[in-house]
Amino acid sequence: MISRLRYTFREMWASLSRNLTLTFAAVITSTVSLFLFGMTLLIQQGFENQLKLWTGGVEMIVYVKHGATPDQIAYLEGALQSQTSVIKSVDFCDEVCAADVATTLFAGDPGTLDQLLPAIPSFFRVTPIDQESSAVLRSLKADFKTLPNVEEVRTPDDAVEVLSQLKGFFGVRTLVMSVVLLLASALLIWNTIRTAMFARRREIEVMKLVGATNWFIRLPFMLEGLLQGIVGAALGSAFLLFVNDDWTKGVRGFPDTSGLEGFVVTGGYPVVVCFLMIGLGAVVGAVGSATAASRFLDV
Amino acid sequence: MIRLENVHKIYSAEVTALRDATFEIAKGEFVFLVGPSGSGKSTLLRLMNRQERPERGAVLVAGRNINDMPDAKVPYLRRNLGNIFQDYKLLANKTVFENIAFALEVIGRPRHVIRQQVPAVLDLVGLGGKQERFPHQLSGGEQQRVSIARAFVNRPLILLADEPTGNLDPATGEGIMRLLDRINKTGTTVVMATHDQRIVNMMRKRVIQLDRGTIVRDQARGVYE
Repeated sequence: MISRLRYTFREMWASLSRNLTLTFAAVITSTVSLFLFGMTLLIQQGFENQLKLWTGGVEMIVYVKHGATPDQIAYLEGALQSQTSVIKSVDFCDEVCAADVATTLFAGDPGTLDQLLPAIPSFFRVTPIDQESSAVLRSLKADFKTLPNVEEVRTPDDAVEVLSQLKGFFGVRTLVMSVVLLLASALLIWNTIRTAMFARRREIEVMKLVGATNWFIRLPFMLEGLLQGIVGAALGSAFLLFVNDDWTKGVRGFPDTSGLEGFVVTGGYPVVVCFLMIGLGAVVGAVGSATAASRFLDV
Repeated sequence: MIRLENVHKIYSAEVTALRDATFEIAKGEFVFLVGPSGSGKSTLLRLMNRQERPERGAVLVAGRNINDMPDAKVPYLRRNLGNIFQDYKLLANKTVFENIAFALEVIGRPRHVIRQQVPAVLDLVGLGGKQERFPHQLSGGEQQRVSIARAFVNRPLILLADEPTGNLDPATGEGIMRLLDRINKTGTTVVMATHDQRIVNMMRKRVIQLDRGTIVRDQARGVYE
C-alpha cells in the first residue's frame, strides 16, 4: 500500500514537472474561470443586498387633491385600508404635516417652498406587502389613481426595476461567461492529461504488459488533474478575497448619501464562495483528467 | 499450458491474420513460431497475452479461455506472462535497475522484495554490476538481456518472445538463446516468434510453421525449412 502511494505521488509529480507550460496554462485558466464564477456569486449577492436595502423602505405616496373634505379623505383612507392583501400599512399626513415635510425638504430653497405651500396637498404613505416587484407597485399605482380625490400616486417602481434588471443582466452574463471558462479549463486539463499520457505511452504500454491495472495507471494522471483544478481554485479564491476586500474598502469610502452602501458582501459569505470554488475546481480537474485518462489509456 | 482451438483472426476484409489455428503447448515446452513476415506469428503471441481477441475460436491459458475473461482480470493474467520484444521496449530515462524494478513496482510489490529480486535476476542474465547504467550505455545484446530480466523477474509461467534476436548479430543472438534455454530449463514455458533460420536449426526445439495465417507444420525438434 505504501509503495503504491509512493509510486502514485512520485509519478504525479514527475508528470506535472515534465509538462510545466501546459500545467501552468491549465492552472491559470482554472484560476480565471473560477474567479469569475465566484465574482458572479458575489455580484449577485451585492445586488441582493442593495435591493433589500432599497426595498426595505419602499413607500407609495398617494397625494390627495387640495381642498378635499374630511369625509372625502376618510372615504379614501377606508378604500386604501380595505386592501389588506396587498397593503401593509397606511399613514395619513394632513396639509399641516405635508407643509412641515416640505419645509424640512426645501429648507434651502425658499423660492420652491413659497410656490408649494399655498396649495400643498395632504397625502397617504402606503407601505405595500410585496416591495420587490415593480410590476406589483405599478399595478397598485394604477388602481389607486382611479380612486376619487386622488391627485397623484408616486412609487419607486422605476428604481426597483432598474436594479432588478441590472441584477439579471450582470448575473446571467457573468454566469454564462464563468460556465464557458469552466468548460475551457476542464478541456485544458483534459488536454494536459492527454498530452502527458501520450508522452508516456511507452511506459504505459510496458505497465499494461507487465500486469498493472488500469486504475493503477490512471491514478497519477487523475491526481495531476485534480491538483491543477484545486490549485487554480485556491489562486482564484485568494484573488477574489483580495478584490472583494478592495471593493468593500472603496464603497465604504463613498459618502453616506451615495445609496451604494448595500453593494458590498461581507461576513462569511465570501469564504463560503471560496470553498465552493475549491470544490468546483476539484470536480472540474477530476472530471477532465478522469475522462482523458480513461479515453487515452490505450495509447 | 496454452491451447488454441480453431482460432480465426481478421484485421480487415483484406487481411486475415489467422485461419483455424489449433495447437497445444505443454508446461515447460520451448516452441518456435516460424514463417515469413505477415504469416501471423506476432498475432499468435498477441492473442496469448490478450492484446488481441480472435473473431472465432478459443485461446486457453492455464486452462482458462482468456477471450471470455473480463477486462479487469487481464492484468492478473499478464502477471503470469513475460513479454520480450525485438526493440526491447526499455524506458530510456530509467536505469537498468529501475527498468526491472518498474515491472515489480507497478504490480504493487513492496520495496524490500524489489531490492532482493532485481539483483538476483540481473545476475541470472549476466548483467550483475551494470544496474546503474542507462539503456543507451548498453549494447543491443545487453539491452535485450535487461528486457528478458524484466520479463522474468516476476517468475512468470510463460515467456512470450517476439523476434528477440531480430536486432542482434549472430553471436549475441546465440547468447540470448542460451539465456532463454536456461530460463526454459527452470520450468518456464517459452514461445518465441522468429524467422532466424540459424537459431531455430541450432536449438532443435518444437517448430510451428505458419504461412499466411495457416499452420502448415507442427514438428517436435524441428528445423527451419
